[in-house]
Amino acid sequence: MLFVFSCTSCSEDDNYVQIKPTPTSPVSLNLENIPYPTLSEYNFFEGEMSDLKPVYGVLPYKITSGLFIDYAKAQTFVWMPKGSKANYVNDHSVLDFPDGAVLITNHYFENVLPEKNRKMIETRLIIKKEGEWVLVNYKWNDEQSEAVYTTEGSFVNVKIEDNNETKAVNYKIPSYNECFTCHNKYDEILPIGPKPQNINEDFAFKDGIKNQLKKWAEFGYLNTSNIPSEIVSVVDWSDISQPLDLRVRSYLDINCAHCHSDKGYCEYAPMRFSFKDTDDFKNIGVGVEHNFELEEGLSHIVAPGKSEESALLFRLKSTLDEYKMPIMGRNLQHKEGVKLIEQWINSLENEIE
Amino acid sequence: MKTKLLFLIICLVPFAIKAQSSSDTCSAADSATHITSGGTYSITSFNGTAPVAGCSSGSTADNGEWFAYTPVNDYQVVISSDITGNNGKDTKLQVYDGSCASLNCLANSDDDGEDVYSRLSVVQFNVEANKTYYIAWDNRWDSSAFDFILTETVQQPISFTEDPRNGGGTVRGTVDMNNDGLDDIVSIVAKNVNDSNVYDINIQEQTGSGSFIGHDYPVSAPYSASWSLAAGDYNGDGYTDLVWGNGSGVNIVKAINSGTDYAIAETQSGIFTQRTNFVDINEDGRLDVFICHDIAPNIYYMNETSGLEYYQGADPNGVPEGLGIYPSGGNYGSVWVDYDNDGDIDMFMAKCGGGEARRTNQLFRNNGNGSYTEVAGAANLADPIQTWSGAWGDYDNDGDMDVFIGGYNGTSHKMMRNDGNGTFTDITPTTNLGFFTYTGIDNVPADFNNDGFIDILSNGNILVNDGNPINMSFTAYTSGVPPQGAIGDLDNDGFLDVVSGSKIYYNNGSTNKYVKIKLNGNGLNKAGIGARIEITTGSGTQIRDVRSGEGFRYMNSLTTHFGLGVDTSVTSVKVYWPSGIVDVLNNLSVNQTITVAEGTTLGTESKTFAQDLTLFPNPAKSTLYVKTKYNLSDAIYTVFDISGKRVLNSKFGRNNTVNVSSLSTGTYFLRVMQDGLSHTQKFIKE
Repeated sequence: MLFVFSCTSCSEDDNYVQIKPTPTSPVSLNLENIPYPTLSEYNFFEGEMSDLKPVYGVLPYKITSGLFIDYAKAQTFVWMPKGSKANYVNDHSVLDFPDGAVLITNHYFENVLPEKNRKMIETRLIIKKEGEWVLVNYKWNDEQSEAVYTTEGSFVNVKIEDNNETKAVNYKIPSYNECFTCHNKYDEILPIGPKPQNINEDFAFKDGIKNQLKKWAEFGYLNTSNIPSEIVSVVDWSDISQPLDLRVRSYLDINCAHCHSDKGYCEYAPMRFSFKDTDDFKNIGVGVEHNFELEEGLSHIVAPGKSEESALLFRLKSTLDEYKMPIMGRNLQHKEGVKLIEQWINSLENEIE
Repeated sequence: MKTKLLFLIICLVPFAIKAQSSSDTCSAADSATHITSGGTYSITSFNGTAPVAGCSSGSTADNGEWFAYTPVNDYQVVISSDITGNNGKDTKLQVYDGSCASLNCLANSDDDGEDVYSRLSVVQFNVEANKTYYIAWDNRWDSSAFDFILTETVQQPISFTEDPRNGGGTVRGTVDMNNDGLDDIVSIVAKNVNDSNVYDINIQEQTGSGSFIGHDYPVSAPYSASWSLAAGDYNGDGYTDLVWGNGSGVNIVKAINSGTDYAIAETQSGIFTQRTNFVDINEDGRLDVFICHDIAPNIYYMNETSGLEYYQGADPNGVPEGLGIYPSGGNYGSVWVDYDNDGDIDMFMAKCGGGEARRTNQLFRNNGNGSYTEVAGAANLADPIQTWSGAWGDYDNDGDMDVFIGGYNGTSHKMMRNDGNGTFTDITPTTNLGFFTYTGIDNVPADFNNDGFIDILSNGNILVNDGNPINMSFTAYTSGVPPQGAIGDLDNDGFLDVVSGSKIYYNNGSTNKYVKIKLNGNGLNKAGIGARIEITTGSGTQIRDVRSGEGFRYMNSLTTHFGLGVDTSVTSVKVYWPSGIVDVLNNLSVNQTITVAEGTTLGTESKTFAQDLTLFPNPAKSTLYVKTKYNLSDAIYTVFDISGKRVLNSKFGRNNTVNVSSLSTGTYFLRVMQDGLSHTQKFIKE
């Protein structure tokens, strides 16, 4: 599906020259000293930090098709040093960010029982330093007043109400090694989310609804000179108004493609789940025999029309370490995701070459 | 289940369609003329009763068609709709034995076509003469008319009978846990506590002849046994301990109270556990624990008098150079094996994933002094093919360990022959293994047909060693064999069985002979893990290493099994203990389990070795020359310092010299050993 990224807002009304002091971002980032011991030292947020109210310069953004993280929620932000901006590479590659850029991803639960309140869990930063990305993670304290740097993995148990049912979640905060596993291509660290295909949509900013890429450009965070007018973009997998195959391809891209792609952690398996590759269903495994000892009755990675024989669905359903996919970051079954994949497999013509 | 075919059905010349037509029910088929021979049979329409007895997954069909089949001889039978004329059709097949009133599922197939169309059905199973089998096709996917072929061939020389496994949980091991000499079944069982899973142990204790008594042991270990389990008595109390782990961590669980209970000894989070092993890494007589890490340098626990000490990567107090220190890991399958026959244990690491540097297999040569040197390149094993395990065995019975390196996801397998000089040669093209393309994660050596040549259980297929000692070759048996699982003797009949999932696969055996060796060590390493066992019969000599943890996932029996073919006596059994002690037993009968207690045969040998040995120059600076009338080319020398610590260990090879340049000044002892006979002499390093 094509979304139009138009550049009309680049024109300026220059009838009036308004003299206004240029605001300065209060974010404190000295690349020599990262990672800071605590999240508050970066000064990304104002007021109560757990409210995630960004200071000037920290722009909120949304990934169109969100990663499943055991029913946790995510809020993402971007910050760049004054005068620097990201460059477009292509629709499906992470933007080429400048040194000092920080991608901020906060994971939290809503409707945490018994009080049905919000609980911050972790804030993941990806910081660009001397041309390379650095992965940094902060774990929120019980008081929700501060988040502390950690490289160790740990579990956080919460009970939430979600979709009218109680869910017990044993949420895993990943260790550094686990972060690295999904965020590297042959040992080169890369972000996953901020690809043009994933952020090319409207967002309700403080000053109004606007296409995110357009907003980044306006704010000076994105060089627009080489951005094409049309960006091949994913859809929100949960948007039932979208075509089923695009929803599936979008779901697989954000949840699976970081490992199942060239130079990814699991490149040796035959699947290629990037949105750009999955217009060819063979890359999803349609009609491809699976090659791993799984339970009986599974014939192919995707057996068209036969979800119960499809290893892809079996792995998405499983919560056993040796079978489940994604292998990291998921301990519960994602019921809605499973339903989507099941519906799609059963909709495929029951024939394979 | 995916059925993989043993024999390609190459003869697709249409048989004449046989007269037997299908019936609408099982009992109608029973009353009609039975199929009694191979041929082509037809389903013309689906209007009978669909089979409902639990034989296949998924919802049942509307209709089915039935045949009764009574073979006149014992056969291996293939029933296949994967034949010319059925392209595009989607068949589904169930085969039963028992009676129509009480059908017992024998085999089923949905989408197993490989020749004509993948949605067609193929099953292979063994039949007995004059017994009736029921063949039921259903129209779950397709109601078209079609033909199928029933082919009868001679039964393959290896077959198994399935039985349910009790105990639940995730089955991982076949190890004698209660010291009665019989392999028991170990599974790890999840238990939900406060909305999280913790893990207990279930042991099915073998009482002989395939019966078991189950015991649950509450442990509440934090991590599942998703990726592997290994067994070994690390604290030397005489009871087997366990290590297992998953993507989040690893547990070491020890037997307590004389093996009547189990308790957590160590747990460590943040470990992406893959293959686990008990092994005496520093050869101090105490079993250490080794754990492959998928996403970081490997970890190990050194067994100190103060307890298990945790190490990761290179550490001067652990293994100075580490044992696989690539920062982001890629470590899948460690096998501890004495590949260079120098009496100490080395380690092969199967690697997978990432760039070439991360996924290149490694071979760690034991330097004999607690340090290891990575030598895969020189050994010709530095292969970046993507593998999760290598199966090490002396497949040609020439006295050294060869390795079958299993490919993953279509990358080719490799058979590497040990040249006996520390290097390996790729002989895959002449082994007949090029035709075997089914790949996966688990490859384990075992002699399933007791013919005296080691076979390979490779991802639910058995690569049967053809037994050609000159030109090693194999025949792939891809159906009628167990899936990957733990290998042991679960009915104590001397033939290796497999337990996997919810089933035990009992080896039906043959008249071939066997001998099993159970070790009883002097020190803490009671099971003699790391020992080399060598047996000689009229057919020649076979070797095994006692290993805790090989292949990828499972823990096989710690009792060492040898098939003996038609040999009716064992000339000798030699046990090369990790301590350096060698026990030799002579003239033993076959079809028994022999327990060898360490050191009990010492002094029974009257022969001497190298008692004329002299060393020069003495004191020595760099090269110590060894003079004796004995041939030392197969002898192993070991240098001990004044405190008894090993500082050098190697084979002599062609030169009767020892390089002592790395030693610091002082007094040392050189031990020269061959065939269990040794001589020790003092020398000074200056």
